[in-house]
Amino acid sequence: MTVADLSAQLTAYEGRSAVLGGRGRDPVDAAMIRHWCEAMGVPGPDPAVPGVGPGVAEAPPAMLQVWIMSGLSGAVGRTAAYEELVALLDRAGCTAVVATDCEQEYLRPLRTGDEITFDAVIESVSPRKTTALGTGHFITTRTEIRANGELAGIHRFRVLRYAPARTRTASPAERPRPVINRDNAGFWEGVAGHRLLIQRCTACGRQRFPWLPGCGECGSPLWEAVEASGEGVVFSYVVMHHPPVPGFEAPYAVGLIELAEGVRMISSLVGVAPARIRIGMPVALEFVRAGDQELPVFRAYEEGL
Amino acid sequence: MTAAAIVGIGATAFTKDSGRSELALAAEAVRAALADTGLAPGDVDGMVTFTMDTSPEIAVARATGIGELAFFSRVHYGGGAACATVQQAALAVTAGVADVVVCYRAFNERSGRRFGAGVRGREPSAEGVALGWGLPFGLLTPASWAAMHARRYLHMYGLTTEVFGHVAVTDRRYAARNPAAYFHGRPLTLAEHAASRWIAEPLRLLDCCQETDGGQALVVTSLARARTLRRPPVVIAAAAQGAARGQEQMTGFYEGDPGGLPETGVVARRLWRDSGLGPADVDVAVLYDHFTPYVLMQLEEFGFCGPGEGGGLVASGTLPINTHGGQLGEAYLHGMNGIAEGVRQVRGTSVNQVPGAGRVLVTAGSGVPTSGLILAADG
Amino acid sequence: MKPGDELPVLSVPVTRTLIVAGALATRDFTDVHHDPEAARAKGAPDVFMNILTTQGLVSRFLTERLGPGARLRKLSIRLGTPNYPGDTLHVTGTITSVSDDERAVEIALMGINSLGRHVTGTASMTLSPQEAGS
Repeated sequence: MTVADLSAQLTAYEGRSAVLGGRGRDPVDAAMIRHWCEAMGVPGPDPAVPGVGPGVAEAPPAMLQVWIMSGLSGAVGRTAAYEELVALLDRAGCTAVVATDCEQEYLRPLRTGDEITFDAVIESVSPRKTTALGTGHFITTRTEIRANGELAGIHRFRVLRYAPARTRTASPAERPRPVINRDNAGFWEGVAGHRLLIQRCTACGRQRFPWLPGCGECGSPLWEAVEASGEGVVFSYVVMHHPPVPGFEAPYAVGLIELAEGVRMISSLVGVAPARIRIGMPVALEFVRAGDQELPVFRAYEEGL
Repeated sequence: MTAAAIVGIGATAFTKDSGRSELALAAEAVRAALADTGLAPGDVDGMVTFTMDTSPEIAVARATGIGELAFFSRVHYGGGAACATVQQAALAVTAGVADVVVCYRAFNERSGRRFGAGVRGREPSAEGVALGWGLPFGLLTPASWAAMHARRYLHMYGLTTEVFGHVAVTDRRYAARNPAAYFHGRPLTLAEHAASRWIAEPLRLLDCCQETDGGQALVVTSLARARTLRRPPVVIAAAAQGAARGQEQMTGFYEGDPGGLPETGVVARRLWRDSGLGPADVDVAVLYDHFTPYVLMQLEEFGFCGPGEGGGLVASGTLPINTHGGQLGEAYLHGMNGIAEGVRQVRGTSVNQVPGAGRVLVTAGSGVPTSGLILAADG
Repeated sequence: MKPGDELPVLSVPVTRTLIVAGALATRDFTDVHHDPEAARAKGAPDVFMNILTTQGLVSRFLTERLGPGARLRKLSIRLGTPNYPGDTLHVTGTITSVSDDERAVEIALMGINSLGRHVTGTASMTLSPQEAGS
């Protein structure tokens, strides 16, 4: 199923009932109010609220939702439509849930002994959203809560049902650092300034990479650094699965890039799914930052895109 | 007395702080010595240094224009190695395994190998730098380096990873019948190979050799002496080392086409030359199998088949390979157990004996400067 | 009381006890609010406060600042950064409007922790006559 297909299916649930004829597990009671007040750090229920009567306490308005919570034994009274919506999202990988918004309007105080009933409607299901927690859909429900049959509050609640992002995102700062000595320090100085430098023998003119303090062709120790264009092609590549490498999330692609200048270098291949990499694919240089280290990487361009 | 001589000397300036890498010093000294002889870098085919030296022979060769190497050797025990490097060179030259051998040693002993504000401790060596190019991109395991070659190999010849499976299946078939093998009694199918998990695509778990605790030793003496002992002699018909032009250690991606193994090509030419034999004369091949693709490339470099045809050759079974089960199936002892299997085949005592095996090719680790042997029956 | 007035800050130490007690007092048994292992499996480093507890703390802030006779009419909140054990939640509020008879006020709310904005929201309240006059 495509993302668009799923979104269309989800939207079809808008306006349908989430709960029909819901009933609070217990009437509003002093013990639950006291429990709540102690947790929140506020004074306990006052049984002498003027105009209420002896032995009757008023619940804090913010407890509105508490009286309709399912509790440890699980949700009851949900409609088939709501269960289908949740199952659809579960199958799409959105197995985690987190509440994000709550809007409440308090129309009538709730008092001990009040019998609670409620009905809820699926007000909206959002398109696919990517959040820090992961990618998923926001579901907004609107619940009318009644006390002894009288409308007491309106409760609009929004949850995000999402596919959890990887529990531990690899930090590029943890990547192995380049090995730098006097023979190749110039290359990494170039990278720090966003220049990809290769060596050219000033005796025979041969361009070379990796950096060496002499020419493999003629043996001359004389050379100059020249800036590469950054254009190249994939000459070979590997998709790494095992073992785990700090700073990388497997599978990841490493390319052997042949530059337009004719030399080759190892680098990361970005912007392309590993399964779509092909030898000969054109690539272009980019610089990325891993912690305090600049690195040259190559973005792949798929034909026809 | 040997029939060898020293024909050139060269050195860098002697300072308290060279300001250059140890590799740069070694390269300068080698260039100076060659200039003293009047020989060109390309005339050199042997190099000897100390085990303590941080500049590998192949790195010095890459930086001085020295091409293929047929002899490289290192001597242990610090300063005690000095004269021995010359002895090694003389042995190589008089034995005919090399024509021109350079001996060298270079270091920044005084300046403490420190440089730069951001680097603590010792300056990274040439060896570290060579392997280090892939580190920040997550290419840092032997399997990942081999996989880079393997991908190119498949691409060049339009093959699939099934060709690697043939090597794994063949090794494990022999290992299954070898009581000494770790995988004794456990053969493998192509489907099991194809189903094993990726390590570094295109290499799977079953393309990578096992790890082993163990040891293997061999005893060598003169043929005349050998003939007096209780076992039939296994003659070293030829022995050769090989390092290619631009040689690296597992990271030889930068020159030529990494679908082959040029260092193995050097060894192959030397072994065929020195033994007077060719691929058709070999009864058994024990080919170093740290990773399955390298077995195919070795078959091709030795001329047992054409480029890209290694998988088909292994599948056909016409050339017995790795009859002990290889390092994939028997044990991973850096190839020394493969030499022992070569000896057993010539003696006629292998558990997977090839009838009448009289000539065995044994190879060493490829992708790095390598070596090989042709073992033969006496007479 | 006039628009722009800032209400004194309420600072609440976010203890593990508060998180668990708050979850149970609001009948919220979702595992990420009491089981650190389950929270880690879902990408969080530890248990974190549920929305109903945040709502309770915000209502406590409003009632404490505007007096026991003030009555909450509407409360809308949106959650941002999570409240993990060991943090401190600082709830602030600003009066955004006051009715002519000074009986109805609207408040903009924000709760900040070490990770950033934990909660933002708005509230509408009606005040008792004596509090309206103060």
